[in-house]
Amino acid sequence: MDLIYRRPVQKLVVAGLLILAVFTGCSAPAAKGVFIEGDVTGGEAETLNWILAADASSFGYVGYALESLATYDNQFNIQLRCLGRDIEVSPDGLVYTITLRNDLKWSDGSQVTAEDYVYTLKNLMFSDWLNYNYRDDWMEDVNGHKVFVNPGVINDTTFTVTRQTVDPEFVYTLYDLIPYPKYIASKYEGKVDAFTQAKEFNELSYTGNLGPYRFKEWLRNDKFVVERNPDFFLGKDNGAPFFSEYVIKMFGTAAVMQGALEAGDITYCGIEPPNVPKFKQLERINVYTVPTRGYNLVCYNQRANGWEGLRKKEVRQALSMAIDKDTIVQKMYLGFAEPAFSFIPSSSPWYSEGNVVKFGVAPLAGKQKAMEQLKSAGYEYTSDGDRTVLMDNNGKPVKLLLVTTPGSDIVESMSLLIKQELSNIGIEVEVKMVQWPTLLRQYMMNKVPGSDQEPRYNNGPQAVSEEPWDMVLMGHNTDPLAPSGSSVFFASDGGLNSFGFFNDEVDALFKKVKSTAGLDREDRRKIYIELARVMSEEQPVDFLVFSRANRGFQKTVKGIEPGINMGYNYYLWRFE
Amino acid sequence: MRNYIIKRLFYSVIIAWGILTITFILLRVGPTSPVDRYILNIAARGQDVESVKQAIEARYGLDKPLIEQYFSYMGNLLQGNWGWSFSTSMPVLELIGSHWIYSFQLILLATIFAIVLGLSIGMLSAVKQNTRFDYAASIFSFIGISIPGFWLGLMLILVFAVQLGIFKTYYDTNYPIWSLDNLKQLILPVMALGIGELAGYVRYTRSAMLDNLRKEFVTTARAKGLSERTVIGKHVFRNAILPLVTIIMFDLGSVVFGGAYLTEIVFGIPGLGQVSFNAIFANDYAVVVTITLIGTFLVLFLNLGTDIVYTYLDPRIRYD
Repeated sequence: MDLIYRRPVQKLVVAGLLILAVFTGCSAPAAKGVFIEGDVTGGEAETLNWILAADASSFGYVGYALESLATYDNQFNIQLRCLGRDIEVSPDGLVYTITLRNDLKWSDGSQVTAEDYVYTLKNLMFSDWLNYNYRDDWMEDVNGHKVFVNPGVINDTTFTVTRQTVDPEFVYTLYDLIPYPKYIASKYEGKVDAFTQAKEFNELSYTGNLGPYRFKEWLRNDKFVVERNPDFFLGKDNGAPFFSEYVIKMFGTAAVMQGALEAGDITYCGIEPPNVPKFKQLERINVYTVPTRGYNLVCYNQRANGWEGLRKKEVRQALSMAIDKDTIVQKMYLGFAEPAFSFIPSSSPWYSEGNVVKFGVAPLAGKQKAMEQLKSAGYEYTSDGDRTVLMDNNGKPVKLLLVTTPGSDIVESMSLLIKQELSNIGIEVEVKMVQWPTLLRQYMMNKVPGSDQEPRYNNGPQAVSEEPWDMVLMGHNTDPLAPSGSSVFFASDGGLNSFGFFNDEVDALFKKVKSTAGLDREDRRKIYIELARVMSEEQPVDFLVFSRANRGFQKTVKGIEPGINMGYNYYLWRFE
Repeated sequence: MRNYIIKRLFYSVIIAWGILTITFILLRVGPTSPVDRYILNIAARGQDVESVKQAIEARYGLDKPLIEQYFSYMGNLLQGNWGWSFSTSMPVLELIGSHWIYSFQLILLATIFAIVLGLSIGMLSAVKQNTRFDYAASIFSFIGISIPGFWLGLMLILVFAVQLGIFKTYYDTNYPIWSLDNLKQLILPVMALGIGELAGYVRYTRSAMLDNLRKEFVTTARAKGLSERTVIGKHVFRNAILPLVTIIMFDLGSVVFGGAYLTEIVFGIPGLGQVSFNAIFANDYAVVVTITLIGTFLVLFLNLGTDIVYTYLDPRIRYD
């Protein structure tokens, strides 16, 4: 140190080194490299004009340039985005106060205000002329009438949304809200064609500092490219994001996409279960196994055109006992799944391990138990050569029709397994593969016979589908944070309750969780635990397995936190 | 000839209009809806599927009577407006304009590859009948005909891109169309698409050449003292090529509507095959109708082209 004081030149050198250190070693990592995410063609977005979108990918694409109010980490802890602080809910659960950050800008430099959000809600999402697809999210049932919630501006950075009825899970809808700029959108108000085709919205040219990236290029069926936004509001202190470009590259087949990851042509993609061991052995690839929101299930047709036995809880339980979930997990998913017992996954904060009835895994599994259960439900067995055959109430062998869609090896294998397992308990199963639109129109939509009803997915208890069926094997998604959305499938008035499950207790629990009784988190948890227990006992469907996803990354990518919402911090990812 | 062409063009317009009308009606009276593929996503958000369906149909005018939709579509078409693709959120013409070149270059190069090599190998095979070359060409062509193009594509990617690293695993649209890099990355797709056609042309050419080689005019030409090159090139090949033209034109149609799509899928080439496939699955009516119309005109023009080429190859054929 003495030298520094004695020699000015050396002092300058040291000072220079210190400055250099500040700008290199001590500063945030510099943005470099192009991150290429692989996806298969069917997963491409529809539009960047998000208010018109029906698909999930469109919201994903827009999210690169436009942050929502908040998101979650892998443990479901809230992560503020455009919010200045968490949404405040009045004690009666009716008024939500939203406070925005004050440094949010549109591309013309003007501030993003509460007025933009309220305008987006009132004039666009609630409008008659634009027909926002998800307007039901923002409606409530008041005295038998559906009405919109009421947004109102308090000041530049604060607005409120007022409800007339309590829904503790409405806050999650609010967290997802993204705005349109009033100064542009008002030019197109009332003109649906002009709004749909507006260049500003289809090229996201208004997004200012609201997202880590800015729109650059979108060649349909090929690539979606966004480039680094140096003004990103969350990057002021740390220099994020750290990729110069983020590309979503579409592939026609998963095989070629995974080949591209192996060859190093792309940075990241999903990996199918059979390929995981190979990728885990590759030195330059990291494979993360994470929970998902998707599960497989067998719907039991409890309507009049399904086998009458399926209307009995004991029979449904017996069939679910016969279908071994561990076999599905190990043989079909190669270990990358977990047994499901209700629509609430184990990753959900509302899940309780001890309360669900676990049909399909030991001890509530197996041929003998299932056969005993069927006998106790009043059915008899007879012998046909060396085969045991279950007889229905008319003394005829029970034959069931399982309908599913082609295109997935796992689903096809599962349908054959179900056929085999039910054959073991004396039930002959015919597997029928139909295309998705046929499944919807002929098997899931229903109407009361002889009536002039328009076919819908749930036209009441008397309605039946065009074609008879007994079981449908399909996949559903659930929201681990707000599982009550599954009422659309399982409540008596659920719009997709095509299998005809009508249960007062379940209806009451769904209502309770979305009422004042659910305002307290602990109380809500108790309601969910009870709901999961009733669902697992009633077996309106056989909840088979929640799948786990495998994500393959080049090892050079740093900052990834594996989990159910592993992309929550993607703007902090970087190349080493 | 001119009158014949004008008459054929007139008929082409009538046929195209008929096909357009039939396609338009079939697509709309069918039971499918643009909402079908999003139903689980809609349901996962706890939404009423029917109300979302009604919202989407109202926004794009699909809730109006069919006849009103038809006249509105035709009116727009006559003004040069081909409609809005709601599955890709862009004007239909812009969508097709940004993708046709990828299909065109692939089909063009694969066709040239198949014709040049197929006809050459077939000719040589006939001339050198029952030699090692002939046997090798026969084995090659049988294998080529038997291998499905998409499987060959996957194998080519696995070997030359994943294992050897000579090519990229996918088609990269960052390279300019008119660049050597682009040409290089088209080698594998062109092989995958062209080898089946090539193998067929080898067989057809060999067979047609052998038929003509046995004819008396060939003996006469040789007796006149013409060189073997002239006999084969000018007399035999010219007579053999007439049926080949029909086969090639027919194949071109099936490549455009079949083989090219699978090759595009395997190599990730964003051509019209992928556009039309996705549009069909999305029930994106405007795109499906437009691509059907383009396909119709293409086939009609290929047929017309075949007829015209005949008159040059065989001066005895006249249409007047």
